Amino acid sequence: MVVLHALRCVGTSGLTRVASFTGLPESDVESELIDLAVAGLVTHHKGFGGWALTESGRAADAAATKAELESAGTRAALAEAFESFLVLNPELLELCTAWQIRSADGVVNDHTDTAYDARVLALFADLHARAVVVIAALAAAAPRFARYDARLSEALAHAQSGELDRLADTIDSFHAIWAELHEDLLATLGIARWTG
Amino acid sequence: MDWVRHLSAELDDPPEMVGGKAHGLVLLHRLGLPVPAGVVVTTEACRAFLRDGELPAGLVVELSATTLGQSVSVRSGAAVSMPGMMDTILDLRPTPDELAEAVRSVFASWDTPRARTYRTLHGIPHDLGTAVIVQRMVFGDRDDHSGSGVAFSRDPNTGENVPFGEVLFGHQGSDVVSGRSLTQSLSALADREPLVWRDLLDFLNRIEQHYRDACYVEFTYESGTLWLLQVRPGRFTGAAAIHLATALADSGEITREEALKRVSPHHLQHARTPRITSDADVIARGLGVCPGVAAGRVALTSDEAVRMAAEGPVVLVRPETSPDDICGLAAATGIVTARGGPASHAAVVARSMAKPAVVGVADLVVGTDSVAVPGHVVRAGEVVAIDGTSGVVVVGRPRVVTSGSDEDLRRLLGWADDVSGDRSARGEVERLRAAQAVLRER
Repeated sequence: MVVLHALRCVGTSGLTRVASFTGLPESDVESELIDLAVAGLVTHHKGFGGWALTESGRAADAAATKAELESAGTRAALAEAFESFLVLNPELLELCTAWQIRSADGVVNDHTDTAYDARVLALFADLHARAVVVIAALAAAAPRFARYDARLSEALAHAQSGELDRLADTIDSFHAIWAELHEDLLATLGIARWTG
Repeated sequence: MDWVRHLSAELDDPPEMVGGKAHGLVLLHRLGLPVPAGVVVTTEACRAFLRDGELPAGLVVELSATTLGQSVSVRSGAAVSMPGMMDTILDLRPTPDELAEAVRSVFASWDTPRARTYRTLHGIPHDLGTAVIVQRMVFGDRDDHSGSGVAFSRDPNTGENVPFGEVLFGHQGSDVVSGRSLTQSLSALADREPLVWRDLLDFLNRIEQHYRDACYVEFTYESGTLWLLQVRPGRFTGAAAIHLATALADSGEITREEALKRVSPHHLQHARTPRITSDADVIARGLGVCPGVAAGRVALTSDEAVRMAAEGPVVLVRPETSPDDICGLAAATGIVTARGGPASHAAVVARSMAKPAVVGVADLVVGTDSVAVPGHVVRAGEVVAIDGTSGVVVVGRPRVVTSGSDEDLRRLLGWADDVSGDRSARGEVERLRAAQAVLRER
């Protein structure tokens, strides 16, 4: 279930991303994926060399997340916490943009102005502190959401120790994890990202 | 009155007191241009609210004493622009209760965490507070001869002296800014409402003459009558800033020295980014969010992009993107999305990968084997090119220029050397900086 759902949230991807999403060792992830492939729920993507959900895998995941919420009786609580997430979402995206582009004249941030970078980084930390509260509310409704706290905290800690690309520029950046959390919430609550 | 001022040509409070938006509306009044009747609640009232947690005594009485009609708009307007950060309430009945509630909501929106973050990022003090503008509503959705739009007096992508903007027939201005509805190019107004168009050109011209600079306005026309709701200088960047500055100097609006002051070294850096030439066959426009030009075959899904990229460059076209598109984004040479703004998922990821990207092409419909824009259908596999600065999408492989060799830039740098007296071989930025250093001493 957790590996299947990881592919639903991160999309076609290799073992490393699924392992990072789930917190499981890569070898466990691989053996689970092979079982899922036998069951016809995932397939190995030839072009990219990664794993992808099949249509029935997508349906199985949707059914499983739905059942999870129904047995816990926490759909309303999750939906309410999702509203709090949506308040933070534009601010996070604006921060990522400010990290990439200096507002004055829209110039690319070349990270030579350490004072500017420090200011944006401090704002990420401030938003993170508020995000932790929202994620706790999400996890109270569905415990697996707690994993996002660990992942976001780790990305932020790396950025604070000098790995600047962990905010918005890598596949395991704060932004990338945040986008997976957004996708996870949409998938779990059965909300379409777009229509048509 | 203590907290409320009438918007008129006589109002002479500074922007710190009435906010930038009201300051612009006062300018429009002074130029004799049509502005819906209104009042402004001062930033001082906001500071009192933020300090005390309640509206200052007397404010609601003052507001209720104003007669602005059956319906009003209530909008924020700080001394420093904070686009999209604060509340706007449209079509409100101006009863004391509803006015108090609306003003309270705008004041409170000054202090949301998101607005605080924005201010910290942009170095705006947290204790300024916002003014609130209450104006008679004008309805862009009143009838067939009503609509709303935004307009630049010149093209902000190129600096050319051609009005540029968007118009939405039969809708309110909020629908233009939100991107929820399909806007048309501003020039569509010329055919549909020739009198409104004529007035708009005249107004833009008069504002330009005042600023001695390109300008930006938000407008609504109601039953054929044009009203201006906001004005500011154009704030052009890159090649557009260079073209504008040299054109204004050529026409005598500003001196060559002033032209040099208006171009920043950042603009030169920007101007060297490759651009699609303006004679290209443009089929759609969106918002350029990562500069540069990309040309390639259209892919409509991320799987397709990964597959097609093995045989040559691909432009990925999506309604919007999600984590599922990371492989496609990585494989593509350029990205187009129908939805989203400068801080959308696609924009952030495109910049992280340094790939030209155009987002928010509002009238783009992504089908299963083709994409449709008004007047064009582009099939998967056809070659398109995109310009991540201007936001244009064109069919085929257009001519691409960098304005490093541009005539405007050559002349501007010649003026810079005239000022500095230094004609040695140096970089463009050094030449501009040397002139600006001399001008600062004068």
